[in-house]
Amino acid sequence: MLELSPPLVLLSGPTGFGEYLKLVDPKYVGGVILKTVTLHPKKGNPTPRMADGDFYVINRIGLENPGIHAFIRQIPQLSIPTIASLGGDSFEEYLEVSRIFKEVSERFCGVEYNFSCPNVKEGGLSIVEDTNRWKNLLNEIRTILPNTFLIAKVGIEGVFVEKAAKIVVDSGWNGITLVNTVRGLHFERGHMILGGLSGPLLKPIALRAVYEVRKMYPDLFIIASGGVYSVKDAEEFLNVGANVVGVGSALFKNPEIVEEIGRYLLEVKG
Amino acid sequence: MEKFCLTKKKSIRINEDTWIIIFEEYLDFLPGQFVMLETPKLVRKPFVLGYWEDNLAISVQVKGKGTKWLVEETRKVKGHGPLGNGFKKDGKGILIVSPTCLTMVNAFRKKVNVDVLVGSKTPVLVPLEFDVVVGNEEFLNKISTLPEYDWYLVSGSKSMEKVCWNHLRGKNVYFSLEEYMGCGIGACKSCAVFTKNGVKHVCTDGPIFRGDELCWS
Ligand SMILES: Cc1cc2nc3c(=O)[nH]c(=O)nc-3n(C[C@H](O)[C@H](O)[C@H](O)COP(=O)(O)O)c2cc1C
Ligand code: FES
Repeated sequence: MLELSPPLVLLSGPTGFGEYLKLVDPKYVGGVILKTVTLHPKKGNPTPRMADGDFYVINRIGLENPGIHAFIRQIPQLSIPTIASLGGDSFEEYLEVSRIFKEVSERFCGVEYNFSCPNVKEGGLSIVEDTNRWKNLLNEIRTILPNTFLIAKVGIEGVFVEKAAKIVVDSGWNGITLVNTVRGLHFERGHMILGGLSGPLLKPIALRAVYEVRKMYPDLFIIASGGVYSVKDAEEFLNVGANVVGVGSALFKNPEIVEEIGRYLLEVKG
Repeated sequence: MEKFCLTKKKSIRINEDTWIIIFEEYLDFLPGQFVMLETPKLVRKPFVLGYWEDNLAISVQVKGKGTKWLVEETRKVKGHGPLGNGFKKDGKGILIVSPTCLTMVNAFRKKVNVDVLVGSKTPVLVPLEFDVVVGNEEFLNKISTLPEYDWYLVSGSKSMEKVCWNHLRGKNVYFSLEEYMGCGIGACKSCAVFTKNGVKHVCTDGPIFRGDELCWS
Protein backbone atom coordinates (compact mmCIF):
# COMPACT_ATOMS: atom_id res chain seq x y z
CA MET A 1 0.00 0.00 0.00
CA LEU A 2 1.11 3.53 -0.70
CA GLU A 3 1.21 5.59 2.50
CA LEU A 4 1.10 9.33 1.91
CA SER A 5 1.18 11.78 4.79
CA PRO A 6 -0.98 13.75 4.81
CA PRO A 7 -3.28 11.74 2.50
CA LEU A 8 -3.45 14.67 0.10
CA VAL A 9 -2.03 14.86 -3.43
CA LEU A 10 -1.79 17.57 -6.05
CA LEU A 11 -3.50 16.16 -9.15
CA SER A 12 -2.08 15.63 -12.61
CA GLY A 13 -2.29 18.70 -14.84
CA PRO A 14 -2.83 21.70 -12.59
CA THR A 15 0.37 20.72 -10.75
CA GLY A 16 2.49 20.63 -13.91
CA PHE A 17 5.83 18.92 -13.39
CA GLY A 18 5.92 20.13 -9.81
CA GLU A 19 5.96 23.87 -10.55
CA TYR A 20 2.97 24.33 -8.31
CA LEU A 21 5.07 23.39 -5.26
CA LYS A 22 6.47 26.92 -5.48
CA LEU A 23 3.13 28.05 -4.06
CA VAL A 24 2.51 25.55 -1.25
CA ASP A 25 4.53 24.43 1.70
CA PRO A 26 5.40 20.80 0.83
CA LYS A 27 4.98 19.68 4.40
CA TYR A 28 1.22 19.97 3.96
CA VAL A 29 1.15 17.82 0.82
CA GLY A 30 1.57 14.02 0.87
CA GLY A 31 2.46 13.64 -2.79
CA VAL A 32 2.39 15.02 -6.29
CA ILE A 33 1.02 13.47 -9.48
CA LEU A 34 2.90 14.93 -12.43
CA LYS A 35 1.39 16.05 -15.74
CA THR A 36 0.59 13.18 -18.11
CA VAL A 37 3.48 12.23 -20.39
CA THR A 38 2.97 10.48 -23.74
CA LEU A 39 5.32 8.60 -26.06
CA HIS A 40 5.77 11.52 -28.45
CA PRO A 41 5.87 15.20 -27.50
CA LYS A 42 2.50 16.93 -27.82
CA LYS A 43 2.15 20.63 -28.43
CA GLY A 44 -1.43 20.70 -27.19
CA ASN A 45 -4.47 22.58 -28.51
CA PRO A 46 -4.64 26.18 -29.73
CA THR A 47 -5.90 28.72 -27.20
CA PRO A 48 -8.29 29.36 -25.58
CA ARG A 49 -7.41 26.28 -23.56
CA MET A 50 -9.30 27.04 -20.41
CA ALA A 51 -12.22 29.03 -19.02
CA ASP A 52 -14.10 29.25 -15.77
CA GLY A 53 -17.84 29.33 -15.14
CA ASP A 54 -19.63 29.92 -11.86
CA PHE A 55 -19.21 26.37 -10.58
CA TYR A 56 -16.74 24.75 -12.91
CA VAL A 57 -13.50 25.05 -14.77
CA ILE A 58 -13.28 23.74 -18.31
CA ASN A 59 -10.01 22.88 -20.03
CA ARG A 60 -8.84 21.64 -23.38
CA ILE A 61 -5.08 21.72 -22.87
CA GLY A 62 -4.68 18.68 -25.13
CA LEU A 63 -1.98 16.97 -23.05
CA GLU A 64 0.84 19.33 -23.93
CA ASN A 65 3.97 17.51 -22.79
CA PRO A 66 7.60 17.01 -23.89
CA GLY A 67 7.27 13.24 -24.52
CA ILE A 68 8.65 10.39 -22.44
CA HIS A 69 12.25 10.67 -23.66
CA ALA A 70 12.61 14.35 -22.77
CA PHE A 71 10.77 13.71 -19.51
CA ILE A 72 13.23 10.99 -18.51
CA ARG A 73 16.17 13.27 -19.26
CA GLN A 74 14.87 15.87 -16.81
CA ILE A 75 12.86 14.16 -14.10
CA PRO A 76 11.88 16.85 -11.60
CA GLN A 77 13.61 16.38 -8.24
CA LEU A 78 10.85 17.09 -5.75
CA SER A 79 11.05 16.93 -1.99
CA ILE A 80 7.88 14.85 -1.59
CA PRO A 81 6.66 11.47 -2.95
CA THR A 82 6.07 11.72 -6.68
CA ILE A 83 3.73 9.74 -8.90
CA ALA A 84 4.29 9.84 -12.66
CA SER A 85 1.33 9.99 -15.06
CA LEU A 86 1.48 8.20 -18.40
CA GLY A 87 -0.83 8.33 -21.39
CA GLY A 88 -0.95 7.35 -25.02
CA ASP A 89 -2.75 7.71 -28.32
CA SER A 90 -3.15 3.97 -28.87
CA PHE A 91 -2.74 0.61 -27.13
CA GLU A 92 0.72 0.27 -28.65
CA GLU A 93 1.75 3.68 -27.36
CA TYR A 94 0.67 2.82 -23.81
CA LEU A 95 2.86 -0.28 -23.99
CA GLU A 96 5.82 1.49 -25.52
CA VAL A 97 5.69 4.34 -23.02
CA SER A 98 5.58 1.75 -20.21
CA ARG A 99 8.67 -0.05 -21.53
CA ILE A 100 10.60 3.20 -21.70
CA PHE A 101 9.36 4.29 -18.28
CA LYS A 102 10.56 1.01 -16.75
CA GLU A 103 14.17 2.17 -16.56
CA VAL A 104 13.21 5.07 -14.24
CA SER A 105 10.23 3.51 -12.46
CA GLU A 106 12.10 3.21 -9.17
CA ARG A 107 12.40 6.96 -8.92
CA PHE A 108 8.64 7.24 -8.39
CA CYS A 109 6.42 5.89 -5.66
CA GLY A 110 3.87 4.87 -8.26
CA VAL A 111 2.54 5.57 -11.71
CA GLU A 112 -0.93 6.71 -12.64
CA TYR A 113 -2.18 5.81 -16.12
CA ASN A 114 -4.44 8.38 -17.67
CA PHE A 115 -7.23 6.36 -19.32
CA SER A 116 -9.63 9.25 -19.34
CA CYS A 117 -8.36 12.42 -21.00
CA PRO A 118 -11.27 13.92 -22.96
CA ASN A 119 -9.03 16.33 -24.87
CA VAL A 120 -7.11 14.15 -27.29
CA LYS A 121 -8.47 12.62 -30.48
CA GLU A 122 -7.23 9.08 -29.98
CA GLY A 123 -6.39 7.25 -26.80
CA GLY A 124 -7.55 9.12 -23.73
CA LEU A 125 -11.18 8.41 -22.99
CA SER A 126 -11.81 6.08 -25.90
CA ILE A 127 -9.20 3.60 -24.70
CA VAL A 128 -11.61 2.11 -22.13
CA GLU A 129 -14.51 1.63 -24.54
CA ASP A 130 -13.45 -1.79 -25.73
CA THR A 131 -13.26 -3.32 -22.28
CA ASN A 132 -11.70 -6.60 -23.45
CA ARG A 133 -8.83 -4.86 -25.19
CA TRP A 134 -8.44 -2.48 -22.26
CA LYS A 135 -8.24 -5.42 -19.88
CA ASN A 136 -5.50 -6.99 -22.02
CA LEU A 137 -3.68 -3.67 -21.98
CA LEU A 138 -3.77 -3.51 -18.18
CA ASN A 139 -2.45 -7.07 -17.99
CA GLU A 140 0.37 -6.32 -20.39
CA ILE A 141 1.37 -3.18 -18.53
CA ARG A 142 1.40 -5.20 -15.30
CA THR A 143 3.78 -7.67 -16.99
CA ILE A 144 6.09 -4.86 -18.13
CA LEU A 145 6.10 -3.23 -14.67
CA PRO A 146 5.68 -6.18 -12.29
CA ASN A 147 6.74 -4.34 -9.13
CA THR A 148 5.43 -0.84 -9.72
CA PHE A 149 2.50 0.64 -7.79
CA LEU A 150 0.04 0.95 -10.68
CA ILE A 151 -2.95 3.30 -10.51
CA ALA A 152 -5.58 3.59 -13.25
CA LYS A 153 -7.25 6.97 -13.61
CA VAL A 154 -10.74 6.57 -15.03
CA GLY A 155 -13.59 8.94 -15.66
CA ILE A 156 -17.31 8.35 -15.76
CA GLU A 157 -17.53 8.15 -19.54
CA GLY A 158 -16.83 5.19 -21.81
CA VAL A 159 -17.50 2.58 -19.14
CA PHE A 160 -19.22 2.43 -15.74
CA VAL A 161 -16.77 3.03 -12.91
CA GLU A 162 -17.86 -0.21 -11.23
CA LYS A 163 -16.92 -2.17 -14.33
CA ALA A 164 -13.66 -0.26 -14.73
CA ALA A 165 -12.77 -0.94 -11.10
CA LYS A 166 -13.36 -4.67 -11.54
CA ILE A 167 -11.04 -4.75 -14.53
CA VAL A 168 -8.39 -2.78 -12.63
CA VAL A 169 -8.53 -5.15 -9.67
CA ASP A 170 -8.66 -8.31 -11.81
CA SER A 171 -5.57 -7.15 -13.68
CA GLY A 172 -3.56 -6.98 -10.49
CA TRP A 173 -3.30 -3.20 -10.39
CA ASN A 174 -2.92 -1.48 -7.02
CA GLY A 175 -5.16 1.52 -7.21
CA ILE A 176 -7.66 3.67 -9.02
CA THR A 177 -8.12 7.43 -9.32
CA LEU A 178 -11.76 8.52 -9.51
CA VAL A 179 -12.64 10.57 -11.55
CA ASN A 180 -11.19 12.56 -14.42
CA THR A 181 -12.85 15.58 -16.01
CA VAL A 182 -16.19 15.07 -17.76
CA ARG A 183 -16.78 16.35 -21.31
CA GLY A 184 -18.45 19.73 -21.24
CA LEU A 185 -19.22 22.76 -23.38
CA HIS A 186 -18.79 26.35 -22.30
CA PHE A 187 -19.56 29.58 -24.15
CA GLU A 188 -16.93 32.27 -23.68
CA ARG A 189 -18.12 35.56 -25.18
CA GLY A 190 -20.04 33.66 -27.83
CA HIS A 191 -17.24 31.21 -28.61
CA MET A 192 -17.65 27.54 -27.82
CA ILE A 193 -15.05 25.80 -25.71
CA LEU A 194 -15.30 22.01 -25.77
CA GLY A 195 -13.29 20.56 -22.94
CA GLY A 196 -13.12 18.60 -19.74
CA LEU A 197 -15.12 19.91 -16.84
CA SER A 198 -13.64 20.03 -13.33
CA GLY A 199 -14.19 21.97 -10.12
CA PRO A 200 -17.16 22.13 -7.71
CA LEU A 201 -19.71 20.70 -10.19
CA LEU A 202 -17.67 17.51 -10.40
CA LYS A 203 -17.70 16.82 -6.67
CA PRO A 204 -21.00 14.91 -6.28
CA ILE A 205 -20.12 12.80 -9.31
CA ALA A 206 -16.69 11.94 -7.91
CA LEU A 207 -18.12 11.27 -4.45
CA ARG A 208 -20.61 8.80 -5.89
CA ALA A 209 -17.90 7.06 -7.92
CA VAL A 210 -15.65 6.63 -4.86
CA TYR A 211 -18.63 5.46 -2.81
CA GLU A 212 -19.65 2.78 -5.33
CA VAL A 213 -16.15 1.45 -5.89
CA ARG A 214 -15.33 1.34 -2.18
CA LYS A 215 -18.47 -0.73 -1.57
CA MET A 216 -17.18 -3.31 -4.03
CA TYR A 217 -13.53 -3.35 -2.96
CA PRO A 218 -12.76 -2.68 0.71
CA ASP A 219 -8.98 -2.89 0.11
CA LEU A 220 -8.47 -1.11 -3.21
CA PHE A 221 -6.32 2.03 -3.02
CA ILE A 222 -8.50 4.96 -4.14
CA ILE A 223 -7.40 8.50 -4.96
CA ALA A 224 -10.34 10.92 -5.09
CA SER A 225 -10.32 13.57 -7.81
CA GLY A 226 -13.11 16.06 -8.37
CA GLY A 227 -14.03 19.38 -6.87
CA VAL A 228 -12.11 19.40 -3.60
CA TYR A 229 -12.03 23.03 -2.41
CA SER A 230 -12.23 22.75 1.38
CA VAL A 231 -11.57 20.67 4.48
CA LYS A 232 -15.23 19.66 4.37
CA ASP A 233 -14.91 18.38 0.80
CA ALA A 234 -11.82 16.37 1.76
CA GLU A 235 -13.60 14.90 4.78
CA GLU A 236 -16.55 13.81 2.64
CA PHE A 237 -14.26 11.96 0.25
CA LEU A 238 -12.54 10.21 3.15
CA ASN A 239 -15.96 9.34 4.60
CA VAL A 240 -17.01 7.54 1.43
CA GLY A 241 -13.77 5.60 1.42
CA ALA A 242 -11.01 7.47 -0.43
CA ASN A 243 -7.49 6.67 0.80
CA VAL A 244 -6.10 9.89 -0.57
CA VAL A 245 -7.77 13.14 -1.57
CA GLY A 246 -6.58 15.05 -4.65
CA VAL A 247 -6.78 18.75 -5.40
CA GLY A 248 -6.70 20.00 -8.97
CA SER A 249 -8.66 23.05 -10.06
CA ALA A 250 -8.65 24.47 -6.53
CA LEU A 251 -4.98 25.22 -7.12
CA PHE A 252 -6.09 27.95 -9.51
CA LYS A 253 -8.21 29.56 -6.81
CA ASN A 254 -5.96 29.64 -3.80
CA PRO A 255 -2.88 27.70 -2.71
CA GLU A 256 -3.84 28.30 0.90
CA ILE A 257 -6.75 25.87 0.43
CA VAL A 258 -4.21 23.11 -0.07
CA GLU A 259 -2.26 24.04 3.05
CA GLU A 260 -5.43 24.27 5.10
CA ILE A 261 -6.63 20.81 4.01
CA GLY A 262 -3.14 19.37 4.48
CA ARG A 263 -2.80 20.82 7.97
CA TYR A 264 -6.16 19.40 8.95
CA LEU A 265 -5.41 15.95 7.53
CA LEU A 266 -2.02 15.87 9.28
CA GLU A 267 -3.76 16.53 12.57
CA VAL A 268 -6.49 13.93 12.20
CA LYS A 269 -4.78 11.33 10.03
CA GLY A 270 -1.03 11.85 10.53
CA MET B 1 7.61 35.35 -6.21
CA GLU B 2 5.56 35.69 -3.07
CA LYS B 3 2.02 35.20 -1.84
CA PHE B 4 0.51 38.44 -0.64
CA CYS B 5 -2.62 40.24 0.42
CA LEU B 6 -2.94 43.81 -0.85
CA THR B 7 -5.15 46.56 0.53
CA LYS B 8 -7.00 48.76 -1.91
CA LYS B 9 -6.53 52.47 -1.36
CA LYS B 10 -8.86 53.66 -4.10
CA SER B 11 -10.20 53.05 -7.62
CA ILE B 12 -10.09 55.71 -10.31
CA ARG B 13 -12.17 55.50 -13.45
CA ILE B 14 -10.17 56.25 -16.60
CA ASN B 15 -12.58 55.49 -19.41
CA GLU B 16 -15.90 53.81 -20.06
CA ASP B 17 -14.96 50.41 -18.69
CA THR B 18 -11.45 50.72 -17.26
CA TRP B 19 -10.36 51.56 -13.75
CA ILE B 20 -7.08 52.00 -11.95
CA ILE B 21 -6.77 50.37 -8.55
CA ILE B 22 -4.22 51.83 -6.18
CA PHE B 23 -2.82 49.76 -3.32
CA GLU B 24 -1.42 50.74 0.05
CA GLU B 25 1.46 48.25 -0.06
CA TYR B 26 4.48 47.98 -2.37
CA LEU B 27 5.85 45.02 -4.31
CA ASP B 28 9.28 44.76 -5.88
CA PHE B 29 8.86 44.14 -9.61
CA LEU B 30 10.31 44.82 -13.04
CA PRO B 31 8.36 46.70 -15.74
CA GLY B 32 6.38 44.14 -17.73
CA GLN B 33 5.81 41.71 -14.85
CA PHE B 34 2.34 40.75 -13.61
CA VAL B 35 0.50 39.25 -10.64
CA MET B 36 -2.34 36.73 -10.33
CA LEU B 37 -5.18 38.09 -8.22
CA GLU B 38 -8.00 36.20 -6.55
CA THR B 39 -11.63 37.20 -7.04
CA PRO B 40 -14.87 35.35 -6.26
CA LYS B 41 -14.32 33.49 -9.56
CA LEU B 42 -12.77 30.01 -9.53
CA VAL B 43 -9.54 31.03 -11.23
CA ARG B 44 -7.15 33.88 -10.38
CA LYS B 45 -6.65 36.45 -13.10
CA PRO B 46 -3.45 38.13 -14.35
CA PHE B 47 -2.85 41.89 -13.99
CA VAL B 48 0.24 43.74 -15.18
CA LEU B 49 1.94 45.68 -12.39
CA GLY B 50 2.55 49.38 -12.43
CA TYR B 51 2.24 52.65 -10.59
CA TRP B 52 -0.27 55.46 -10.27
CA GLU B 53 0.51 58.61 -8.33
CA ASP B 54 3.63 56.81 -7.05
CA ASN B 55 1.60 53.97 -5.55
CA LEU B 56 1.57 50.34 -6.58
CA ALA B 57 -1.34 50.05 -9.02
CA ILE B 58 -3.03 47.89 -11.63
CA SER B 59 -5.48 48.74 -14.41
CA VAL B 60 -8.67 46.73 -14.57
CA GLN B 61 -11.04 46.53 -17.50
CA VAL B 62 -14.41 45.53 -16.08
CA LYS B 63 -15.53 42.49 -18.07
CA GLY B 64 -17.54 40.45 -15.59
CA LYS B 65 -18.23 39.45 -12.03
CA GLY B 66 -14.59 39.10 -10.93
CA THR B 67 -13.31 42.40 -12.26
CA LYS B 68 -16.42 44.23 -11.01
CA TRP B 69 -15.78 42.82 -7.55
CA LEU B 70 -12.17 44.01 -7.69
CA VAL B 71 -13.14 47.53 -8.66
CA GLU B 72 -16.29 48.03 -6.62
CA GLU B 73 -16.58 45.64 -3.76
CA THR B 74 -13.45 44.37 -2.09
CA ARG B 75 -10.83 46.12 0.02
CA LYS B 76 -8.41 43.19 0.38
CA VAL B 77 -7.02 41.22 -2.56
CA LYS B 78 -5.02 38.01 -2.29
CA GLY B 79 -2.57 37.03 -4.98
CA HIS B 80 0.83 35.76 -6.00
CA GLY B 81 3.66 37.32 -7.97
CA PRO B 82 5.45 39.15 -9.44
CA LEU B 83 5.45 36.76 -12.38
CA GLY B 84 6.85 36.61 -15.88
CA ASN B 85 9.89 38.45 -17.18
CA GLY B 86 10.68 42.11 -16.97
CA PHE B 87 11.43 44.04 -20.17
CA LYS B 88 14.51 46.19 -20.67
CA LYS B 89 15.99 47.42 -23.95
CA ASP B 90 18.66 49.99 -24.74
CA GLY B 91 17.97 53.01 -26.89
CA LYS B 92 14.90 55.14 -27.32
CA GLY B 93 11.63 53.25 -27.34
CA ILE B 94 7.91 53.85 -27.49
CA LEU B 95 5.07 52.15 -25.63
CA ILE B 96 1.91 51.80 -27.72
CA VAL B 97 -0.84 50.86 -25.33
CA SER B 98 -4.52 50.73 -24.55
CA PRO B 99 -5.81 52.48 -21.39
CA THR B 100 -5.61 49.17 -19.51
CA CYS B 101 -1.82 49.56 -19.60
CA LEU B 102 -1.45 53.08 -18.18
CA THR B 103 -0.16 51.82 -14.85
CA MET B 104 2.43 49.67 -16.64
CA VAL B 105 3.49 52.74 -18.62
CA ASN B 106 4.32 54.51 -15.36
CA ALA B 107 6.46 51.55 -14.28
CA PHE B 108 8.53 51.96 -17.46
CA ARG B 109 8.72 55.73 -17.16
CA LYS B 110 10.12 55.39 -13.66
CA LYS B 111 13.12 53.52 -15.05
CA VAL B 112 13.64 54.64 -18.66
CA ASN B 113 12.95 57.58 -20.90
CA VAL B 114 10.23 56.33 -23.27
CA ASP B 115 7.61 57.91 -25.45
CA VAL B 116 4.02 56.79 -25.02
CA LEU B 117 1.06 56.54 -27.35
CA VAL B 118 -2.30 55.61 -25.89
CA GLY B 119 -5.04 54.33 -28.19
CA SER B 120 -8.49 54.32 -26.63
CA LYS B 121 -11.87 53.42 -28.10
CA THR B 122 -13.64 55.88 -25.79
CA PRO B 123 -12.47 59.22 -24.33
CA VAL B 124 -9.97 59.04 -21.46
CA LEU B 125 -11.36 60.69 -18.34
CA VAL B 126 -8.11 61.52 -16.54
CA PRO B 127 -5.48 64.08 -17.63
CA LEU B 128 -2.43 62.37 -19.20
CA GLU B 129 0.90 63.91 -20.08
CA PHE B 130 1.37 61.89 -23.27
CA ASP B 131 -0.24 61.33 -26.66
CA VAL B 132 -3.77 59.93 -26.57
CA VAL B 133 -5.75 59.08 -29.68
CA VAL B 134 -9.41 58.17 -29.53
CA GLY B 135 -11.00 55.91 -32.16
CA ASN B 136 -9.64 53.43 -34.72
CA GLU B 137 -9.09 55.85 -37.57
CA GLU B 138 -7.07 58.30 -35.52
CA PHE B 139 -5.00 55.46 -34.17
CA LEU B 140 -4.25 54.21 -37.68
CA ASN B 141 -3.18 57.69 -38.79
CA LYS B 142 -0.92 58.06 -35.83
CA ILE B 143 0.72 54.64 -36.23
CA SER B 144 1.46 55.19 -39.91
CA THR B 145 3.22 58.48 -39.20
CA LEU B 146 5.31 57.45 -36.20
CA PRO B 147 8.95 58.54 -36.19
CA GLU B 148 11.72 55.90 -35.97
CA TYR B 149 12.45 54.32 -32.60
CA ASP B 150 15.03 51.76 -31.47
CA TRP B 151 12.23 49.58 -30.14
CA TYR B 152 8.45 49.47 -29.93
CA LEU B 153 6.39 47.73 -27.25
CA VAL B 154 2.72 47.14 -27.98
CA SER B 155 0.28 46.21 -25.24
CA GLY B 156 -3.41 46.26 -26.02
CA SER B 157 -6.23 44.36 -27.67
CA LYS B 158 -5.66 41.72 -30.37
CA SER B 159 -6.88 44.17 -33.00
CA MET B 160 -4.42 46.82 -31.81
CA GLU B 161 -1.64 44.23 -32.00
CA LYS B 162 -2.59 43.38 -35.61
CA VAL B 163 -2.68 47.00 -36.74
CA CYS B 164 0.69 47.67 -35.14
CA TRP B 165 2.26 44.57 -36.66
CA ASN B 166 1.00 45.54 -40.13
CA HIS B 167 2.64 48.94 -39.84
CA LEU B 168 5.74 48.17 -37.82
CA ARG B 169 6.88 44.74 -39.03
CA GLY B 170 10.55 44.69 -39.91
CA LYS B 171 11.31 46.94 -36.95
CA ASN B 172 12.30 46.01 -33.43
CA VAL B 173 8.75 45.49 -32.22
CA TYR B 174 7.61 43.58 -29.14
CA PHE B 175 4.17 42.56 -27.91
CA SER B 176 2.97 42.05 -24.37
CA LEU B 177 0.53 39.17 -24.80
CA GLU B 178 -2.63 38.41 -22.90
CA GLU B 179 -3.81 34.83 -22.64
CA TYR B 180 -6.14 33.09 -20.24
CA MET B 181 -4.03 31.96 -17.29
CA GLY B 182 -4.72 29.29 -14.70
CA CYS B 183 -1.61 29.40 -12.56
CA GLY B 184 0.80 32.07 -13.79
CA ILE B 185 3.79 29.88 -12.88
CA GLY B 186 4.20 27.45 -15.77
CA ALA B 187 2.26 24.53 -14.29
CA CYS B 188 -1.11 24.29 -16.06
CA LYS B 189 -0.14 24.99 -19.71
CA SER B 190 -3.27 27.04 -20.32
CA CYS B 191 -1.40 30.12 -21.59
CA ALA B 192 0.31 28.57 -24.61
CA VAL B 193 1.42 30.60 -27.59
CA PHE B 194 2.58 28.83 -30.75
CA THR B 195 5.70 30.68 -31.86
CA LYS B 196 8.17 30.10 -34.69
CA ASN B 197 10.39 28.55 -32.01
CA GLY B 198 7.76 26.09 -30.77
CA VAL B 199 5.21 26.22 -27.96
CA LYS B 200 5.92 28.92 -25.40
CA HIS B 201 3.98 30.01 -22.34
CA VAL B 202 2.95 33.58 -21.77
CA CYS B 203 3.39 33.31 -18.00
CA THR B 204 6.95 32.00 -17.93
CA ASP B 205 8.45 32.83 -21.36
CA GLY B 206 6.62 36.15 -21.67
CA PRO B 207 4.50 38.06 -21.24
CA ILE B 208 6.54 40.06 -23.77
CA PHE B 209 7.52 38.44 -27.09
CA ARG B 210 9.31 39.69 -30.20
CA GLY B 211 6.85 40.31 -33.03
CA ASP B 212 8.85 38.26 -35.53
CA GLU B 213 8.80 35.27 -33.19
CA LEU B 214 4.98 35.13 -33.22
CA CYS B 215 2.90 33.37 -35.88
CA TRP B 216 0.68 36.01 -37.51
CA SER B 217 -2.19 34.64 -39.52
C1 LIG C 1 -5.91 22.42 -16.69
C2 LIG C 1 -6.08 20.97 -16.36
C3 LIG C 1 -5.20 20.02 -16.90
C4 LIG C 1 -5.35 18.68 -16.62
N1 LIG C 1 -4.46 17.79 -17.13
C5 LIG C 1 -4.53 16.48 -16.77
C6 LIG C 1 -3.56 15.54 -17.21
O1 LIG C 1 -2.60 15.87 -17.91
N2 LIG C 1 -3.69 14.25 -16.82
C7 LIG C 1 -4.72 13.83 -16.03
O2 LIG C 1 -4.77 12.63 -15.70
N3 LIG C 1 -5.67 14.69 -15.59
C8 LIG C 1 -5.58 16.00 -15.93
N4 LIG C 1 -6.53 16.89 -15.46
C9 LIG C 1 -7.60 16.40 -14.57
C10 LIG C 1 -7.25 16.61 -13.10
O3 LIG C 1 -6.12 15.87 -12.71
C11 LIG C 1 -8.42 16.23 -12.21
O4 LIG C 1 -8.64 14.84 -12.34
C12 LIG C 1 -9.71 16.96 -12.56
O5 LIG C 1 -9.44 18.29 -12.84
C13 LIG C 1 -10.75 16.87 -11.44
O6 LIG C 1 -10.30 17.39 -10.22
P1 LIG C 1 -10.57 18.91 -9.76
O7 LIG C 1 -12.05 19.14 -9.79
O8 LIG C 1 -9.97 18.99 -8.38
O9 LIG C 1 -9.86 19.76 -10.73
C14 LIG C 1 -6.41 18.25 -15.76
C15 LIG C 1 -7.29 19.19 -15.22
C16 LIG C 1 -7.15 20.54 -15.50
C17 LIG C 1 -8.12 21.52 -14.91
S1 FES D 1 -0.82 30.14 -16.68
FE1 FES D 1 -0.44 28.10 -16.10
S2 FES D 1 1.20 27.64 -17.47
FE2 FES D 1 0.90 29.72 -17.85
